[in-house]
Amino acid sequence: MIPVIGGLALNLALGLSIITIILLSFHLRTGDNRLYLSGQRAALAVSLVSFFATFVLAQLLLSSNFDVDYVAHYTSLETPTIYKLTALWAGQAGSLLFWLFILSIYGVVAILQNRRSQQKLMPWIMIVIATVQLFFLILVNFVSNPFVPTDADFILANGLGLNPLLQNATMVIHPPLLYLGYVGFTIPFAFSIAAMAQQEMNALWIKTIRTWILFVWLMLGIGIILGGWWAYQELGWGGYWAWDPVENASFMPWLTGTALLHSIMIQEKRNMLKVWNMTLIIITFTLCIFGTFLTRSGIMSSVHSFSASSVGPIFLGFVFLILIVSFSLLFYRRAFLYSGKRIESFSSRESGFLFNNVIFVVMCFAVFWGTLFPVISEAIRGTKITVGAPFFDQINIPIGLLLLLLTGVGPLLVWRRTSKQCAIRNFTIPVTVGLVTALILFLLKMRGYVLISFSLSSFVLTTIIIEFAKGIRSRMRSQHENMLIAFWRLMRKNRSRYGGYIVHIGIVLMFVGFTGHAFDSEKEFGLKVGEKEHLNNYQFELLRISEQERPNHYAWIADLRLQDSEGKTITILQPEKRIYFFRSPDPDRRQPHSELDIYNFLNSDIYSIFNGIDTDKGVAYFKIMINPLVSWVWIGGYIFVLGTLISLYPSRKETVI
Amino acid sequence: MESKNKFYFAITIIALVVVFWIWYASTNPNSEQALVTFLSVEELIDDGFSDRVRLGGVVEDGSIQVDENNYMTCQFELKEGDYLLPVEYTGVRPDLFKDGAEIIIEGIYRDGVFKADILQTKCASKYEGDLRDANNYNLGEVSI
Repeated sequence: MIPVIGGLALNLALGLSIITIILLSFHLRTGDNRLYLSGQRAALAVSLVSFFATFVLAQLLLSSNFDVDYVAHYTSLETPTIYKLTALWAGQAGSLLFWLFILSIYGVVAILQNRRSQQKLMPWIMIVIATVQLFFLILVNFVSNPFVPTDADFILANGLGLNPLLQNATMVIHPPLLYLGYVGFTIPFAFSIAAMAQQEMNALWIKTIRTWILFVWLMLGIGIILGGWWAYQELGWGGYWAWDPVENASFMPWLTGTALLHSIMIQEKRNMLKVWNMTLIIITFTLCIFGTFLTRSGIMSSVHSFSASSVGPIFLGFVFLILIVSFSLLFYRRAFLYSGKRIESFSSRESGFLFNNVIFVVMCFAVFWGTLFPVISEAIRGTKITVGAPFFDQINIPIGLLLLLLTGVGPLLVWRRTSKQCAIRNFTIPVTVGLVTALILFLLKMRGYVLISFSLSSFVLTTIIIEFAKGIRSRMRSQHENMLIAFWRLMRKNRSRYGGYIVHIGIVLMFVGFTGHAFDSEKEFGLKVGEKEHLNNYQFELLRISEQERPNHYAWIADLRLQDSEGKTITILQPEKRIYFFRSPDPDRRQPHSELDIYNFLNSDIYSIFNGIDTDKGVAYFKIMINPLVSWVWIGGYIFVLGTLISLYPSRKETVI
Repeated sequence: MESKNKFYFAITIIALVVVFWIWYASTNPNSEQALVTFLSVEELIDDGFSDRVRLGGVVEDGSIQVDENNYMTCQFELKEGDYLLPVEYTGVRPDLFKDGAEIIIEGIYRDGVFKADILQTKCASKYEGDLRDANNYNLGEVSI
């Protein structure tokens, strides 16, 4: 009975979304306010009914109702409760519903928050949101319905269970955050379409849209970082980023979103670049839909393609529809968007931002190119060329370093025009620090990208520290405050600027972490109990192997003593080899899984994988990796989040205006 | 030149340089693992490619043999369509590597044996599989 209710809720939501679009379109034509109010109620109702459908599915998953195909496919009786809930986004049908669920949350917030302040734009905003909802409702109703009953002529005692790889705490929050990012770009997109349609774009519009973009950009950013963290902790190949098509799918909108965050500041400060900003918003939103398509269509074989299905063509159709409609509207309204202002100087902050934008977009294009290269090459030359991580590294490392350079240069430039004296004053110290770092590293025998990356990092950090120091010093002088109070008030006075600098610090630290990759080392070996093996200055001794049976798996646990060069014990690593569904009489259903163990230092990670055990000979096989500086990627990630949160927190000055 | 034009000129140059760079990297990869041709087993056997290639297929049932002297090396047969290819692989075997697993391998074909150094399993195929598979087992045996 309950599954039927869920299905009906989806039907109802579909109908309501169509009604919303019709009512509001007639309102736009006639100006009848009753139509507007009905449309608004219908729009809210779509979301409420979608919430309801999601809760129904969650309830079915939690109560292990195996009459529903989705529940039987993604959970089993042994699946821990929390993972029964996360199975909501483990499969295609569920994750499409989850998309809809999050869009509905955003939709309700956007409508309630702006219904008074943006009355003129509201009908269009609601139409766009309802259209995107309609698209996902068509998918979950007709193509990939999560409430479809089990297609079986026998009684199901148990479900298939959730993939052990997905049974990890990070997997509980990583997909929702990515979705919060992906889906969230719908709202700025809706605002942009509305602004172009109604030819109205006021200061409040920019403020609202900027906050939205910053928020969803943060979610996307955290989602990407957590994805890397999950891969590093769980997949056991020792890395956090593999340029997998699905990783790229989330990275591309993040890149254009970053460009957008910078260029929207120019619109805020100087009322310029409106056409460009609109273009970026449209592209970013399209990339979000495209990303969902890449994840869900199975067009790329990838770690993430937990599905192969028929939603592909529909998604692609929707992507083209968005592009055609939005860019037609943009072209039609170009006169409205044209500001007539121009960038005054080459050495202005505006131009710095624009260069940054160009690089971000080009980098996005490079990632896009690499991601689709197999498809393109197959279409043109008939042979499928697969693209490996080295290709992306080769292309993106120089582009990334160029961005790192601009991170340092940009803030030193002044709006409109930077004078020569000013440039010399601002650049002398940071450039000197960068050059001295380069010289020291050169003497330490570092070369190439490593040298450039570390030197640029020191240059950028210096520029940021100087920016803070300047601000603090001037407050100390003019307001007679002590250093800490000056620092605190400086941040509070201009959250978006100093928050931005903190984000930059986070990014620089992440670059330091990325650069550490150049020094990675690894070794594979077999050990009997009591034997030792060396890698770099560390020694690994196998103390014992114990066995344990746990609720849904069986585990062999290796105790691997890690000692430094002086023989001092640092820790005991305990990588595990697990077999899930050990009791299943069908050997195909038993799934091995390596649970690795990592020991973190600030300057490097010791990463241990229990590869396998040869029970006849009593030999256990391990892979050990030493990955320098990885911790800095995560530390940079925390700082990135902190900085964005500071920027997001509304400042008092803004509220007064 | 007017500053506006100068500006657009600079942006165009940058964009062109980067596009050229992407094109250059696409035609001159700096690593043999950057761009690898994906073939079918049939094409490989018939045409005798000597470059590094990537293949997809299924592990033939009962063909996996772990080397007696080196646990990290194993031999197996890759099946695609009607073709069987002997493969030798050295390295970490993924958790899902077993009879009937869908896999992707990368390496060089020499003297009738494909020497692979990359082996990836297609994830989770069992987890989108036939429900009948799961339900043949008796719940009584599972201790929770």
